This record gives sequence, C-alpha cells and structure tokens, in this order.
Amino acid sequence: MGFFTDSTLCIGCKACEVACKQWNQLPDDGFRLTGMSYDNTGHLGASTWRHVAFVERESPLPGQGSPRDGVEAGARAFEPLRPLGQAGTTSPLADDVSPSHIETPVALGPTAQAMGKFSWLMLSDVCKHCERAGCLEACPTGAIIRTEFGSVYVQPDVCNGCGYCVSACPFGVVDRRADDGRAWKCTLCYDRLEGGMVPACAKACPTASIQFGPIDELRERAAHRVEQLRARGVPQARLYGESAASQPGTAGLRAFFLLCDEPEVYNLPPDPVVPTKKIADSWWAMAAGIAGLGLAAVGVVLSARRAA
Amino acid sequence: MKTLLERREAARDGRNVDPGLGTLAGEGAEQRVRRLDAGHSERRVMAPPEPELEGRPSYYGMPLLKEPVWKWFIPAYFYVGGVSGASAVLGAASDLLGPRGTRALSRRCRLTAAAGAGASAALLIADLGRPARFLNMLRVFRPTSPMNVGTWILSGFGAATAAAAGAALLPVGPGARRAGDAAAAVAGLCGLGLTGYTGVLIANTAVPLWQGTRRALPVLFSCSGAAAATALLELFPPGDRSEPVVRRFGVLANVSELVMTGVLEAEAGVVPRVARPLRTGISGALWRAGQALSLASLALTLGSRGRRSLRRAAGLCGTAGSLALRFAIYQAGRRSALDPHASFEQQRRGRGAADVVRAQPGLDRALGEKGAEPPATPTLHDPGLAHP
Repeated sequence: MGFFTDSTLCIGCKACEVACKQWNQLPDDGFRLTGMSYDNTGHLGASTWRHVAFVERESPLPGQGSPRDGVEAGARAFEPLRPLGQAGTTSPLADDVSPSHIETPVALGPTAQAMGKFSWLMLSDVCKHCERAGCLEACPTGAIIRTEFGSVYVQPDVCNGCGYCVSACPFGVVDRRADDGRAWKCTLCYDRLEGGMVPACAKACPTASIQFGPIDELRERAAHRVEQLRARGVPQARLYGESAASQPGTAGLRAFFLLCDEPEVYNLPPDPVVPTKKIADSWWAMAAGIAGLGLAAVGVVLSARRAA
Repeated sequence: MKTLLERREAARDGRNVDPGLGTLAGEGAEQRVRRLDAGHSERRVMAPPEPELEGRPSYYGMPLLKEPVWKWFIPAYFYVGGVSGASAVLGAASDLLGPRGTRALSRRCRLTAAAGAGASAALLIADLGRPARFLNMLRVFRPTSPMNVGTWILSGFGAATAAAAGAALLPVGPGARRAGDAAAAVAGLCGLGLTGYTGVLIANTAVPLWQGTRRALPVLFSCSGAAAATALLELFPPGDRSEPVVRRFGVLANVSELVMTGVLEAEAGVVPRVARPLRTGISGALWRAGQALSLASLALTLGSRGRRSLRRAAGLCGTAGSLALRFAIYQAGRRSALDPHASFEQQRRGRGAADVVRAQPGLDRALGEKGAEPPATPTLHDPGLAHP
C-alpha cells in the first residue's frame, strides 16, 4: 500500500496536515509566520508528518490562472480523479471549478498583467516510505521495521534516540522529538490500516490530491494521469520516485509524487540515494586504513627491536 | 533517597517520556507543544541570497536535510575512541613483538585503552540520555548499520581492554598474565576497528560532505587516532626504552594524517559546494588549525632530538590538532547538511545514486537487496528525460 500525491490537484488547504495531527495527537508547531510564502509549516518534522509546500513561480502553468487574466480558471485541465477506496471528492465544486459563464476575457489591469505570469505549485509532502529505506538500514536497534503494508514504521517503544536515522534519510524526513529525544515520522497511519481504514490525510483530502491504495494500481493511475496532463498541454508533468527504474537510489518510493517542475523546487532531492548503498566503499577504505595502521604498529615495534 | 539516575529521569530533561504512551494513547501522544525559542526549530529561516545561486532552483533556500542531532559528545567520542583504539593496537604490537624494556609502554597503552573505552561508553550514554539505551543497541546485530556494528566493537573492545588492564594492574599469576596478553591482542584487533568505524558511521549518512568523503574519512580517522594516541604518549612519556617506538609511530601517524587531510579535501572538492564548509567559516578555520597543529607536532617531533620540553609541545600540538580535525569534520558536516544546494549539486553532478548504479551493478545483490535491477542506462539526472 502507498500514497500517490498528485500535486496538480492540491489546493493548499492543509486539511491533510490537520487531519494527521488530529488523528495522531501531534501538537501544533506554534503559530509563527515564516515570512516566505503561505507555507508556515516549513518542513516535515517530529510533530509534522504531512507538510504542504507552497511554491510561487513567475512562470505560467496551463490550467492555472484567473478569469481576469483571460484564462479560464481550471480550464478543465485537472479533471478530478476518484480516489481508490474512497468516495469521490467531497467538494461539489470540484467537477465544475471553471466559471465558464465568463465568455469574453476581461480587460487586464496592471495587477492582472503581473499575475498573468504567475502560477502556484503546491505539494503535500510526506515520508516517502522508500522500498529501500535509509533510516531502516541505519537504525542500530531494529526499532524501524517494514510493516505488512510495506510502510516504514518507527516503533516508539524500541527507539533509542540515537538520531542516526535522522541523518540517514536522504529526504530529511525523520526528526527527533524535542521532548524525549526519540525519532518520529509518518506511520502511514499504521493503526488505521490495521483497522481497515485509509490514512487520515488521504481521507481528509478534498481534491483527491492524496490517493491511497495498492502501489501497482497507484502507479498505473499515475502514469495515466501524466499522459492526460501532457495531452492537455502540461508537458512539465512528471512522476517522482514511482519505480526503482526512475529512482534506483531508493529502489522506488511507496509515497510518490506527480510534479510540474524540477524536484528541487519542491525541496526534493533530484537523485536521492540510500547511504548504505554506497557504504561498501567506506568499509573497504577502512579495511585498507586499519591494515596500514596495524602494519605500521608492528613495523615500528620490530624496527625498534632490531635497533635494541 | 532517589538515585542519581532516578533524579535525572524525574527532572524531565526531555529524554524520558513513558514509552508505553505511544501505544496507549495515540502515536504522538503526550508530546509537548514545541517551544518556539528552543532547539533546532529555529533553523527554519531563509538563507541569505547568494549571487552564485542565481537561477538554481530551491525551496526558498530551506534546508533539504535535517541537521545531525549529535552534540559535542560525538566528536569527542571520535577522539577518545581513536586514542584508545590506537593505543590498544600499539600496546598489542609491543606486547607480542616488542623489544625487552618496553613493559612500561605496553602497560601505559593498556591503561589508556581501558580508560578510553570507559570514557567512550560514558560519552555515548551521555548522548543517548541513559545507560539502558546503550544496552538497547545490543538487542540486534545489524551489518547495514555501522552504529550497531560499532557498538558491538566497542563492547568487545571494552571487555578486552578491561581484562588486559586488570592483568597489568593486579598482582596475578602467570596463567592470568597470559590470559591478559591474549586479551590485549583481542583489544588490539577490536581497536583497529574502533579507530576506523566512526568514519564509516558518519559516511553512512545523507550529509553531503560526509557521504562525499566516504573513502577518505575512515582512513583519516584511523591515522588521526594513531597520531592522537602517540601525542598522548609524548605528553606523558612511559620513559623506558620504548622511546624510538613512540617516536617512529608518531611520525608515521602524523605524516599519514596530514596526507589524508589532503586526500579528504580533494575527495570533497570534486563538488565545490560540498567542500565549501572546509574552506569557510568556523569549520574551515578549525580544519586549517587542525592541519597546522598536526604539522607543528610533526616538526617538533622531528626536531626534538630527545628534548623533553619539545616533545611535550609536540604532544600538545598533536592532541589539539586531532581534536580540531574531528570537530572541524563534525561542524562542516552540519553546515553542509543545512545547505540544500550542496545536496542538489552533488546529485546533479552524478554523485547521488547515479555513480553507484553505474559503477557497481552487482553491489546491491551482494548486500542482499531483492529484485530491483538497476536500469541499463541511468537517466536520473533529468527526471523529465526519464519519462519521455
């Protein structure tokens, strides 16, 4: 099971953030404005397991705009998708967001002209539940396990708080809780899955931007969605980490994304790699180094004996 | 009357929330609201604008990775572990093969190794919060986790050095003395691992600088451990016929340490942005200071000609240099983790997954990964290209 997060459907409502906090009883992060965008959460952390990124760009995106620009809002580029195992979108507006009654474009004022070259990218970010997870392989206590649903889960009663997983995650997801020093991250609502429910964020998402289901079905759906978007004039649409072939560093993500720009724009690494994938180099180097050290010690002692 | 441990736990120093709570009352229950003015939550600030980043995308310059959570205990442990590991190696060598009259050297090495093993365990426990968490590390054996492997090495090392030091300190019979010698040999073997594994440990992270210098780090740590151990011996010389042993070992260690700092810089410098913390800021200054002190130590050792004061000075410089190098690497790693462009540039230049996939297609199978054959032609650099 996994997530497919379709960023083109995200409206930045943060319902996923709130639903996650509510279900998992996570505290708020304090009411603070970051001052850079509408994103006041900033990043994933020990008490933030879903995070909506808001990217403001000075380039247009087909399908985004306002009637004032002369662009029909929505332009039906983003036809809603029925999420798996869920009712359709909860908003009656979703099927008909475009105010198609505006027949003639309104004349553009200076603000509207400036806004014409503007688009939003929004992305609900989450733990990627990598097929090969850096945190899981690094964890020295076995606290991090792969569940029967394929997700990566930190067992809170085993976690030691050594913080190794925090640095081993190529996405910067895992974080140590400030009050007890243990590592926390998205559990893919393990407790809800056990009860046959869908994760809280997917359940709460009003536009089906977050879709939950069997990973193969999600991949098919995602590929179809990319084709659909490209056919509708969004050539930038691409998937991020949907398979081992596209992201060998993690052998594919269980929570993958549909993006409309470079990954860096969303604060995603372009070619992430599980650190353990490279670590054989280090062990070999260490073997050579300590062999040298041992030989040096023996040699020095022997040379002193000869002198003595 | 409460024990010290109980008092520490009762103080709610932030490390002792009841582990049962997670299962009883919801995953993140009983978590306190984050104090806004404390800890690393302060890190969420926009980076100052840099002209060289013009046109390179990022998410408002926000960090991609989490800053390593380790405090000063960990670089201090790297130093102490290196010193005690290398001491055990030198001690074992002089025990097994040493000329007559180096009894004091091997005794000194055994004691240093044992004291260092104790201090290492104390530093690790201080980092984790309480002793039970150290034991918790031994509940599994996991070869993919250098931290787990290292905990096992440290445990074996601690036991062996304790036995060896005990045999050296206590008036024991010949049988026990032989057992002590055997323990010293085991400690020497574990000590080899102890000096190097810390480099593997930090290389096995997503921190760009540490991952980017994964070949040089373990070797540098081994050399630097040996240099630090001899520096300590120069500070408190054993004073028997072992002087040439210590001196030659020190010169070798110092030279190789200096060479390895150069190698590390070259390995990091392949991607300039990654190597930047080694050139600039406090971490850069520490790095240069470490190199300078190490060089001074080498010069003083070579020029001392047996003069006690100069050897002491060499020992001081060597110790300070070794400490400075470890703290420099630690600090530089933290800075590179906070710089999203270091990760981006490293990965865009083919030093993310691309180089391992290209270089070692068989590696994953050797490590036991199932399925997921790497693609014949890695096309990761532009995700747009990956999906034509």
